[in-house]
Amino acid sequence: MLRSFGALCLSLLGLAALTQAGSSSGNSVLVVLQPSLKRDAFSLFFDGLEKKGYSLTFRAPKDDTPVIIEHDVPLFDHIILFAPDTKSFAKDISPQALVNVLNHKTNLLIALSPKQTPLSLLAAEFSLILPPPGMPLLSHFPPRDTAPTVIPITVPADNAVLTPGTPPVWFSGVPQALGANPLLVPLLRAPPESFAADTDKDAGAEAVVDAAEKGGEGLWAGSALGVVTGFQTRDSARVVWAGGVELFGDEFAKKEIEKGVKSGNTQFALDTAAWAFQENLVLRIDKTGHHLANETTPREHYTINDLIVYDIAISKYNAAEDAWAPYSGLTDLQLDFTMLDPHVRTALVPVAGAPGIYSATFRAPDRHGVFKFVVDYKRRGWTFLHSSTTVPVIPPRHDGYPRFLSAAWPYYAGAISTSVGFLLFSALWLAGDDRETKKTKKTE
Amino acid sequence: MAGPKATAPVKGTSSSTSSSSSPSAVQTLWKAYLDHTAPRLKFIDSFLTFLVLSGVLQFVYCVLVTSFPFNAFLSGFASTVGQFVLTASLRSQVNSENRTLFKDVSPERAFADFVIGSVVLHFFVFNFLG
Repeated sequence: MLRSFGALCLSLLGLAALTQAGSSSGNSVLVVLQPSLKRDAFSLFFDGLEKKGYSLTFRAPKDDTPVIIEHDVPLFDHIILFAPDTKSFAKDISPQALVNVLNHKTNLLIALSPKQTPLSLLAAEFSLILPPPGMPLLSHFPPRDTAPTVIPITVPADNAVLTPGTPPVWFSGVPQALGANPLLVPLLRAPPESFAADTDKDAGAEAVVDAAEKGGEGLWAGSALGVVTGFQTRDSARVVWAGGVELFGDEFAKKEIEKGVKSGNTQFALDTAAWAFQENLVLRIDKTGHHLANETTPREHYTINDLIVYDIAISKYNAAEDAWAPYSGLTDLQLDFTMLDPHVRTALVPVAGAPGIYSATFRAPDRHGVFKFVVDYKRRGWTFLHSSTTVPVIPPRHDGYPRFLSAAWPYYAGAISTSVGFLLFSALWLAGDDRETKKTKKTE
Repeated sequence: MAGPKATAPVKGTSSSTSSSSSPSAVQTLWKAYLDHTAPRLKFIDSFLTFLVLSGVLQFVYCVLVTSFPFNAFLSGFASTVGQFVLTASLRSQVNSENRTLFKDVSPERAFADFVIGSVVLHFFVFNFLG
């Protein structure tokens, strides 16, 4: 409540300052910049963010103010950590504190370097395996006039986070081997011919060959490595780990990839930040509802074998207009009707003519109990959607069963004929009794 | 009920005339039954026969066709069984040969018990019939 109020105030301030707004979760950004890096060296990136509507606050890694979390309420919506060489941080930027910040749904953009720092140790907690200290990514291809550590990397065209057609980007820094964590969102991978090795003498190449002969164990080489990797926590806070801070700098942004072709660094950096700061691929559930097939209002409970309709309204954040818009583009949304196990799992299909509404009609299972409508949509890169609605399913009431079934008529006839027989028997018995008493009287 | 009651004595008289020529055990038994059973008991027996047939028919239907409204089968079948039990107990109580066993129970009392038991039985049967 407090946080949302704070976010509202901040976003109102942001709106007052600039009408062109970006993030769905707030526009205040804390930039932790190590003293050796100057703001002017990243002017294209930071100005690009400010142009989008973000308000940037700068802070050195060892400063104590401004604080990140006050009274358990985060004061910033996003944090950029451009302190790849810093070995000691203020108390509230320690790795544990950063995890706590993530739990408050504050997004992080973290730059690493070949040096070993607290941040590179934290990367291991996100299933990113860094090479030993002092081993940056190297590539001797394509032949170029730069050092082997400054590598042009082609931007993948099929990544939903990145703008298609972005020119190759210059990269210099440390690669990461990706663990099997499903929460990882690889954004940029190392070129196939690159490897991590000791820069000075290029002697690490021997180690690479050795490792390759051992079946790739301990090998930091090839396109399986990531250089910029996202991570989305289970409650949809986002972290981006970039292997080098130069990727975001003006020097690489202005450096030409080929003669006359500017590098894609500016575009790539802003795309990456857009994903990390909840501009891109952000979904939310507006409303869920359920009712009987021929009714419109929800029931408090349903009867077994009822025909139930479940619908859900989903919006996607549109950063260009700073507005949520109904989104019908999900093709693999599913509904589970669950009591411990999903008894029904069915597709939620977009309703034609109703933007953002997905609906499923299904028959309740022939089993009573406390069920849940569960929508659990987890896709790499997208906000995780989860909705659970509890509803009891009861057996029919005593008068809710079908009656006078044709199959049961022999039994009805049997019971009726027994009763009729009993009545006739009693009547005849009594009639005969009279006669008999008369007879007995006569005989007496 | 009128049918069996009307035909039983007729059959009895016709078979009793021709029974002396066939001395098989079943026929002897049948003849003895016809000769030595009081007409009231024969009347009860015809009702019991009807109940047995009705119950057997329902059971066969249940086994061969469907037991689907199972409560209907149970109540239909239980009505025949229950009525059979009540009628059989009436038969034993009004049988003059059992007079020594039921000294305290007059035939009128036995019939009243039978009627009350049957009314209660049919009440439950129709409640359960569905």
